[in-house]
Amino acid sequence: MSYVKTSLMLFCFLGGVSITRYALSAELSSDALKALAVKHCSQCHTLGQGEGPGNGPNLFGIIGKKAGSAQGFTYSPGFLAVMSGKTWDPELFDRWLTDTQALAPGTGMVYFQDDRKIRKQLIKFFQLLR
Amino acid sequence: MSKKPSNEFQSVASRRGFLKAATVATAASSFGVLTMSDAQAASASFSAEYDIVVVGSGCAGLTSALFSRWHGNSVVVLEKAGALGGTTFKSAFWYWVPNNAPMRAAGIEDPKPDFLKYVARLTRPQFYDPDHPRFGLTQWEYEMCEAIYDSASPAAELLAEKGALPYRHVPFATDYFAELPEDKAKSGRVLTPKDNSPSMAIGGQVAVGTLSSAARRDGISFKTGHRVQRVILNTKGETIGVEALKDDDSVVRIRARKAVIFGSGGFTHDPELRSNFLNVPVYGGCAAFTNEGDLIRISSSLGVQLRNMNHAWLCPITFEKAMARDGSMSGMFSVAGDSMIFVDKRGKRVVNEKLNYNELCQKLFEWDGSKVEYPHLILFSIWDQRSQDHSATNDYGSAIVPPGADDRHVIKSDTLEGLSEQISLRLSKYAGVIGHMHLDSNFMSNLRETITRFNGFATAGKDDDFHRGERSSDVLFNGAVKKEPNHKNPTMWPISTSGPYYAALVGGGTLDTKGGPKTNTHGQILDIHDKPVPGLYGVGNCVASASGGAYWAGGGTLGPMIAFAYRAANKAHVEPKRS
Repeated sequence: MSYVKTSLMLFCFLGGVSITRYALSAELSSDALKALAVKHCSQCHTLGQGEGPGNGPNLFGIIGKKAGSAQGFTYSPGFLAVMSGKTWDPELFDRWLTDTQALAPGTGMVYFQDDRKIRKQLIKFFQLLR
Repeated sequence: MSKKPSNEFQSVASRRGFLKAATVATAASSFGVLTMSDAQAASASFSAEYDIVVVGSGCAGLTSALFSRWHGNSVVVLEKAGALGGTTFKSAFWYWVPNNAPMRAAGIEDPKPDFLKYVARLTRPQFYDPDHPRFGLTQWEYEMCEAIYDSASPAAELLAEKGALPYRHVPFATDYFAELPEDKAKSGRVLTPKDNSPSMAIGGQVAVGTLSSAARRDGISFKTGHRVQRVILNTKGETIGVEALKDDDSVVRIRARKAVIFGSGGFTHDPELRSNFLNVPVYGGCAAFTNEGDLIRISSSLGVQLRNMNHAWLCPITFEKAMARDGSMSGMFSVAGDSMIFVDKRGKRVVNEKLNYNELCQKLFEWDGSKVEYPHLILFSIWDQRSQDHSATNDYGSAIVPPGADDRHVIKSDTLEGLSEQISLRLSKYAGVIGHMHLDSNFMSNLRETITRFNGFATAGKDDDFHRGERSSDVLFNGAVKKEPNHKNPTMWPISTSGPYYAALVGGGTLDTKGGPKTNTHGQILDIHDKPVPGLYGVGNCVASASGGAYWAGGGTLGPMIAFAYRAANKAHVEPKRS
């Protein structure tokens, strides 16, 4: 596993779509973060800017957005009941990734990650995905 | 059951031992088998220990884990992906359960001999004989099909009773070949999760939610990001654990006292296995990306018998979503729209567009020996504004999607000429993987004639060419259409003579493959002498299905899966604990 010690400016490609140039300041390389996010998320979510929803909403730029605001995606009642009005910040995102069903019972997404390190890496990836 | 077992997770590795084990394993993190002596196994080389280790967290894995746990075993589920659910999460989760409890309660008869005749007729049509003692099936196929009949309903009832999979009966869901005289119970065998949507398209999400909630409630452990690459045997050839590669490239060994049950899916996303085993040119499919045939590669070292490798659960797919590796892509289980047709590169219809997906897909694979080509490798779905306005849906992999949906696969033009030009451009983009297919020079004139002819059929309500709408399953998957007072055949309506028009490229794909190691009726993986590899089990699409190339009905994948999960767990429970 390669590590990046200093901030780098990189072009990132996801799913063959060029999405953005961003500053990377993380322990993992951009490729490793991307690979982790793809492995954990891309079965249901698109990650590229402007891409439509899949089984879940598009996640480009999610940190800082209002929960339940993605265009073209129908959220489950379980999600809306708890998450409406909230903003995706790192703290909320961490609680979400820890156990979606505990936070919003009945939501469509079934994901629980008890490894804090992986949650932190995923949050880092999404902070940069803008 | 709410209390976690005390031995649910026993850390048996000292830090030093763990590092030693990890080092050894990292050097050999390829697929296969690792044989350990008793002394090696007794040393501190396992990071955890359970009675039963389950590989995969789709329907096969989750239900195997639950049935095992309910016998009192400690159980862990190892999932290769970051999230649970595998292909099941994306499915509609109909499950086909012969002679199920609601059928019995309603007095719908489903006698076992008739069920077996129906599946035999479809599975081995060339050998089918109603007077043969096994109706033309091999002994293995016959016993496996019997097991489905015997165990799917008890499995479904236990899952419901434990609150893991409450269901509702779908009495109107007909079998895909209900017209066959062998099908006595033509509808009624389908169950779906109780809280599935009205269109019954999101059952997989619901089922993974309820199954995993019950599993966590009952003390089953989960480890995501664990790709099992090796089965660990002792020197007697008995299964004692697995070795898994984690997200961070470290390797762990997990001990199984009684059994390892694989429910790890097929090989849809391994192009090498696909092209060497399937005899049809599929472009991937809607199986989870993690379905890369890991058990096929692992079991090569075990001397197993691979069976049914040449068949898959087939479905048309939106070709461009497959090319873009869209993780959410669904098979085209409902070909939506009434003012909609499929045409080939000549601009002619070649198939009943509403034929159920496994059979519709076969048309894409037709081989023209004289021209040495697959003439229908890509078909073109064409529809008008009416179908766009009234039939668009996000359900069942429809090519016709509503505004705001991912529509990268949709081509739109005000004229048929414009549509054809854009289709040509898209084909040229994929020339290298479609045999340089291009539209024939007379595509436009043929397309106009095709639409005129189809419109005549639609007006009359009768498709003289391909009999669209005449089979009950054609109507079952018709999807929403605009109701008309004189709609003689709800699957057809004349295509507008003016634009805009829409199109999508349609290719062939799989829900998943259905070949793998042969098991017995208890899910035990068999060696070349038909003897079980002690402690090694397989359920679902990672092992051989006894269905041949057939897709018996909606839920024909998941119903048998819960039956074999139930049987495998029952057998694994009585395995001796291997110390």
